[in-house]
Amino acid sequence: MTPGFIVGGSLAIFLCVFFVAVLLPGITAKDTPSEIFRPRTPLEEEGRKIYIQNGCSYCHSQYVRNLDWDLGAQRVAQAGDYVSDRPHQLGSERTGPDLSQAGGEHPDDWHMAHFINPRFTRPESLMPPWEFLGRERLLALTAYVQSLGFKDADARMARQRYWKQEAIKAYEAGPDANVEWLHSHVPEPWRKLPNPYPTTEAGLLRGKRIYQSFCIGCHGPIGDGMGPAQPYLYPPPLNFTILKGRGISGGILYYQIMNGITGTAMPYFKRELESEKIWDVGNYVAVYFIGETDAGGEPRGIEASYIRPREGK
Amino acid sequence: MTVKSFFLSSAFWMVMGTLAGLTGAVELIAPDLLGNVPWLVFGRLRQAHTNMVMFGFVGSALLGAAHFLVPRLLRTQLHSERIGLFCVVLWDLAIGVGVAALAMGYTQNREYAEFIWPVDVAILIVLLGIFYNLLMTVRKRGENLLYVSVWYVMGALIFTFLSYFFGNAVWAPQTGSIWGMPDAILAWFYGHNILGFFFTPLAVAVAYYVIPIVTGRPLYSHTLSLVGFWSLLLLYSHIGTHHLLQAPAPTWLKVVAITGSIGMLVPVMTVLINLWLTMKGRISVIHTDIGGKFVFAGTVWYLFTCLQGPLQSLPYIQKVTHFTNWVVAHAHMGVLGFAGMTALGGIYFMLPRITGRPIYSETLADIQYWLVLTGMTGFFGILTAAGLVQGHAWLNGEVVYRVLPQLHPYMVARAASGIFIVAGALVGLYNIVMSLREARSNVGSGDLTGQEGP
Repeated sequence: MTPGFIVGGSLAIFLCVFFVAVLLPGITAKDTPSEIFRPRTPLEEEGRKIYIQNGCSYCHSQYVRNLDWDLGAQRVAQAGDYVSDRPHQLGSERTGPDLSQAGGEHPDDWHMAHFINPRFTRPESLMPPWEFLGRERLLALTAYVQSLGFKDADARMARQRYWKQEAIKAYEAGPDANVEWLHSHVPEPWRKLPNPYPTTEAGLLRGKRIYQSFCIGCHGPIGDGMGPAQPYLYPPPLNFTILKGRGISGGILYYQIMNGITGTAMPYFKRELESEKIWDVGNYVAVYFIGETDAGGEPRGIEASYIRPREGK
Repeated sequence: MTVKSFFLSSAFWMVMGTLAGLTGAVELIAPDLLGNVPWLVFGRLRQAHTNMVMFGFVGSALLGAAHFLVPRLLRTQLHSERIGLFCVVLWDLAIGVGVAALAMGYTQNREYAEFIWPVDVAILIVLLGIFYNLLMTVRKRGENLLYVSVWYVMGALIFTFLSYFFGNAVWAPQTGSIWGMPDAILAWFYGHNILGFFFTPLAVAVAYYVIPIVTGRPLYSHTLSLVGFWSLLLLYSHIGTHHLLQAPAPTWLKVVAITGSIGMLVPVMTVLINLWLTMKGRISVIHTDIGGKFVFAGTVWYLFTCLQGPLQSLPYIQKVTHFTNWVVAHAHMGVLGFAGMTALGGIYFMLPRITGRPIYSETLADIQYWLVLTGMTGFFGILTAAGLVQGHAWLNGEVVYRVLPQLHPYMVARAASGIFIVAGALVGLYNIVMSLREARSNVGSGDLTGQEGP
């Protein structure tokens, strides 16, 4: 082969392939925004710059796949979601969750605690602490994260804001009113439902492990709501000890762990914890921090919860 | 001089790049250890690591090797040492500035296209300068026949220049990107071409050069070389979208990418069959030469990488592997196992032929070989296993957060493997510096520099 043949051949192949693999998809791509799209505000754009500068995309992807279960799995990504993205931030690894629908999943104060040190809200997180960015830039970054999901995120944020007001009102009205308000959002059947599993050493150990992986950052090692995230959160994390004698039940704990309390930093855990894990951590909280538990009553109906016959239960 | 400088740069960047990698690996074990040091934060460090390793370590070594083997094979001198040296200096400067900028948060944040605009321009100038210099070398050649290694070098420079130019969207200095999904498609076209047309052809050129000389056998088949070269250009170039199979990219493009990925078996297997039949019955001979030993290991990793790659492009497999550490293992196999080990082989094979003396220490080079090989094998096993743990757990409905504690032991083992590789890089830097220093004190005594061609 002559040098001319090699150079000419390489150029010809490159141009053909470039046409097929880059130009053609570029030309035929529709720049029609998807139904959730909206432009980002200047603050959100500034936050996106911070996201890019610090390489967030190397651990967080930004597209939900049709086989995902995690954060944002309610909606599979569409090409029209990305029309304003320069550069793209789709990502190639998931060391942390996908963020394409992260907006409004948590209130702003949760994010502030999480960015100052991710372990404050997520004890087993591998994310670096971002305190060095300073408050101003963290607020911009939070604004960007809260915009992920565009109109869907806005709807979630509106809910966060509304319920934040309500939660603050209830908190400021004192422990009695607060607990009553919290319980009033739990449907009646759940309120009456005792924890169906008996209190066992094994169950408490499992509950403790879940508590340390998910709860300890806000509610603290002794359940008084004084975890390391506490200074950043308002209303502050619940002090479990005030629940004693105020009509708490296994069902209330389960319902609130499962669904979270919108507006406060308490997230829902239904994606993360299966049924028995929620009962176990609820009973751990009930036994050690609240000091009263309704766990392990006689089965009253046809439920098939496990019992320990030799203890007569 | 150009070649020596490239090799020295390579040894230096290997130390820096692997150190950054090790630091990042440690951060995945203890995220608060280096907490709140902005330039060491994982997201920035990862970019510094990949760029230093890809362009600094592997890129410098392979470009150096190209400057050595092209004139050798054509029985002539490099067209211009001045252009060559200018290219080395600008190359190192670009990488140095680029990486410092990444550490300070100046990034365009598309994988392997992170360098900011001025650095992109500098790299393009270097690639153009090298292409010009080697093309002029080809033009004044004393040997009419162009050996396969020369084709690969020419093809590599053309494809890399064009891929780099378009892939970095050099016409858009601010963002270095186009918009939305087309940007992702462009970015992965580029991302894959850096491996496919910067590393692969240059490393294959080195293997095609080293193996026949070390084994003392003529190349098994020039027809296979021909098939391997053109099918590489045709098939490897449009498979980048296999990184986006689960993203909302056009389906027809995904089909093209998967087809091309499977088709990759053609250029890979023709090259390997050709090289391995050349060395048939002489594996013990090739292991008596430290350069040949590295290159042989490189070809074995090439096989592993390129059997795994097509497999990984199948949607059924990717359902499990995508987004996981499996892919991290694959990337290390390609860059460190295949291209990196072949590049080191090139350095150790060519150094004595430039300086006219044996390298400073064969033993140290051998120690480096085992350190890198052990570390790399560790990476492969550990990260592939970790990836399967992640992928299956996610598919089973576990959220990312729940799987993190399960990754911990793998991350510890991975960092331990990384220590082997950093140690290997340090040994290599010492050995290469000493080899070059000895050469300086014995200028002109070269007798190994005589012509020898495969």
